[in-house]
Amino acid sequence: MAPFQTFIGLEIHIHLLTKTKVFCSCRSAFGDPPNTNVCPVCLGYPGVLPAVNREALKMAYMVGTALNCDLSMHTVFERKNYFYPDMPKNYQISQFSDPVGRGGWFEFETGGKIKRISFHDIHLEEDAGKMIHDGSRTLLDYNRAGTSLLEIVTNPDFSSGEEAEDFLQAFRRLVRYLGVCDGNMEEGSLRCDANISINRQGKGLGTKVEIKNLNSSRFVRKAMAYEYRRQAKTLKLGGAIVQETRLWNEEKQKTQNMRTKEAAHDYRYFPEPDLPPFCPDEGFLMGVAEAVPELPFFRKQRFGRQYGLTAELADFIADEKFRADFFEVCVDEGADPAETAKWLKGEVAKQLARREADLEGSFLSSFRMAELMKLLGSGRIHANIGRQVLELVLDEDMDPVRLIEREEFAGSDDREALGPVVDQVLSNNREAVLQVRDGSQKALGFLMGQVLKTAGQQADPKLVRRILLDACHEESPARKD
Amino acid sequence: MNKPERGIQFWRGLTAGAEQLQQYKELLEVYDSRIGSFLEIDPVKGAALIQDRRGSGPLAGVPFGVKDNIAVKNFQLSCGSKILENFISPYTATAVQKLLAAGSIPVGKLNLDEFGMGSSTENSAFHPTANPWDHAYVPGGSSGGSAAAVAAGLVPFALGSDTGGSVRQPAAFCGTYGLKPTYGAVSRFGLTAYASSLECVGILADSVHTTREVFRTIMGADPLDQTSTAAPEGQADTAKSSPCTIGVLKQPEGLDAATEAVYLASIERMKDLGWTIVPIDLSTLEYVVPVYYTIATAEASANLARYTGIRYGVREQGTANHEEMVRLTREHGFGNEVKLRILLGTYVLRSGFQDQYYVRAQKIRTLILREITELFTRVDMMLMPVFPVSGFRLGSKQMTPFQQKMADKFTATANLAGIPSLSFPAGKAGQLPVGMQLMAPVFHEERLFNAAEVLSGGRPIELAPGSLVLPDGYDAKAVR
Ligand SMILES: [Zn+2]
Repeated sequence: MAPFQTFIGLEIHIHLLTKTKVFCSCRSAFGDPPNTNVCPVCLGYPGVLPAVNREALKMAYMVGTALNCDLSMHTVFERKNYFYPDMPKNYQISQFSDPVGRGGWFEFETGGKIKRISFHDIHLEEDAGKMIHDGSRTLLDYNRAGTSLLEIVTNPDFSSGEEAEDFLQAFRRLVRYLGVCDGNMEEGSLRCDANISINRQGKGLGTKVEIKNLNSSRFVRKAMAYEYRRQAKTLKLGGAIVQETRLWNEEKQKTQNMRTKEAAHDYRYFPEPDLPPFCPDEGFLMGVAEAVPELPFFRKQRFGRQYGLTAELADFIADEKFRADFFEVCVDEGADPAETAKWLKGEVAKQLARREADLEGSFLSSFRMAELMKLLGSGRIHANIGRQVLELVLDEDMDPVRLIEREEFAGSDDREALGPVVDQVLSNNREAVLQVRDGSQKALGFLMGQVLKTAGQQADPKLVRRILLDACHEESPARKD
Repeated sequence: MNKPERGIQFWRGLTAGAEQLQQYKELLEVYDSRIGSFLEIDPVKGAALIQDRRGSGPLAGVPFGVKDNIAVKNFQLSCGSKILENFISPYTATAVQKLLAAGSIPVGKLNLDEFGMGSSTENSAFHPTANPWDHAYVPGGSSGGSAAAVAAGLVPFALGSDTGGSVRQPAAFCGTYGLKPTYGAVSRFGLTAYASSLECVGILADSVHTTREVFRTIMGADPLDQTSTAAPEGQADTAKSSPCTIGVLKQPEGLDAATEAVYLASIERMKDLGWTIVPIDLSTLEYVVPVYYTIATAEASANLARYTGIRYGVREQGTANHEEMVRLTREHGFGNEVKLRILLGTYVLRSGFQDQYYVRAQKIRTLILREITELFTRVDMMLMPVFPVSGFRLGSKQMTPFQQKMADKFTATANLAGIPSLSFPAGKAGQLPVGMQLMAPVFHEERLFNAAEVLSGGRPIELAPGSLVLPDGYDAKAVR
């Protein structure tokens, strides 16, 4: 057992995928030219008022539902007061004493086990703009100012950086599932700060150190490991941990002091008088409940139970909501679940990667996928043809059945079409036919080789073999002309 | 009375066409040079904002003034502050937008105490405004420019804002009507915020009739102001008319002799009309001022944080970094009264002090509301003085800023309770008008109008001496 116990908590900010900003009707978009998605409201002009976006509230309550929070029936916005040039009003509309959700828990897999962590609260707020330093000048871009942010604060329930990393990945999967955030950490639509304290086993929480600048879940793991080493060393030498905020420096692979103590900040929270408390009615709550889909953790387990998928396949299929929905439509259409899952993880993923495409934007609809799987299942085409058909579907936006007709794949696979070739081969090799009847595999192989040579690549060897066997055994004089 | 006829035709005549608008502009400039009620005069620009000035509604073609803390596109929005001296509004407040839709024409922006903080309009960063009745006296405040312009007959009505009495007190000082509507009855979108949970866009007007028409035009829920609400259906029809039951203060303390005399005379007048007078105690009245200033300054400290010179307004030049730029911009841009209130508000919100001040004030506010609500189960309306004194001289220090704050207790009651209140001309103290106010339950503005109509006998206000008259040879054909 390690001499020290680790307590890690996370503060996660997600940018909600609302069409407009949280308190005005400006477009919520990233990467547009500076200061093009702005209006008097999000620029904090004199006399303007915020008007809360229902879509943002709905998404916040969806996350609260998925995280098993106690949802507020009377949620209050508050002003968090501090001056900063990228914050137009010099207060941020946020939440404090009556957030959207409190408590709650979440289960995820880590180190081969299932871990449950709990939440302090989740709350809705507005983002600030961006300061851009340009030589001696400072420029301000307010496109991001007023976009909707949801902050999720966990309790210090993680006992290692690995756990925090695994949680972040599961959480990212969750918010993408809910369709409330694209989960992109590099672009900052999912941001994470961590706090860590260590202490001798059984002594409870130690002195909290906050770590910022964690732009990927990997950084979280590495920063936590570094901090553990740093703090453990200090404690072993009899030193005390300083309460501070540190930044992760990826280049140097270490954390560095940013500021010591936050006592200087008095945010003077008070209820936002411009926004009445939001009291969700039954219709709103029903809409929220309907919008929360089966969550990935449970869906994966069900895929194992219901369709007999291996843990690995179930994990892959359940990872993305679109993929999981796609898969279940295929199954409903009559495709074999295990085969479909295998194809999705194997050939389909490979072909998409080669094209740098994703399933959602590709020409492969679930209907086409199901059709392809049924063609394979019925033996009408074999795997080799299946792969070629898949490529053509992805490139040409056509249905598998039509492609098979066009490429005459089906023609050569068809017993009827193979008939004349088989007949020809049989009549030219009477000796071998007799040997096949006597059970010679070698003779069968020879005949197959002859048929395939004539029929070409498209012919399914399995089918040729079956036809040949049938033909050899039921060969009658009538067929000899 | 050799006063000009001030019917709708008179006002429509002044705005009938480009030529008349230009003449009106010149008239306003001349008449206003004596009292200084306007900060910007431009009827031509105002008329360009409306689509259809020839509409048939009761406000079509009627000019109005706008307190300079309410946004009108292309007009300045200085809020009476140096920090916004150069600011031109890119948008229009909802209340003004509704008037524009009714064909009413904004002719300019009116003087005020900086950001609405004051009772005399002397806190304007630009110039004081004189009371049209006696130029040595203040017009009241903070909507002093609006009240003076109406009393001087420059416009038939003006928009003001009332946070603790800022419409009713100048209305009383200048002898006009002054309505503070129910909180949320009129959208605040476009009203520069001072104390968001207390303030309303209000109306200063030359008659009950005009006040009512304007109120009916600007009221209503606005998606841009989520604290606004639509009035319950049918209030206009069920509004109590004469005779009614009026609650009056048993002991109206601290009034000067003239104000007390007018208060008592108003009660007598109501008795004569056959109304029932019910003497009441308002036990929470003594808490009104401390509670009001705690909440108002707390909200103001956040509301005024946005003025930094970074995105708009006057910016301090040549500073070393953004912290210094913001600090000096605010130091030089704000007047002393504004700084005082920001500091006070910051103080009452400090962590560790909130329970003692801000939270406590909110609790007392709830008690005040409860007492008022209970009161309205017994009376239809309440009669209150507007201000304890009948007026004071410009620059006289006759009332210290502290005394002026203490004097807000009668008006601020309505703001804390969110109820509507109408100030009306009720008498004189020498040359100067004295106003009283009636308060009604929420969304019962019509009850106030009906009562005031009876009290006034349907007559418009008496205009101040030297009010606007049409010059000889005024293009009469336009004045149809
Ligand atoms: Zn905006």
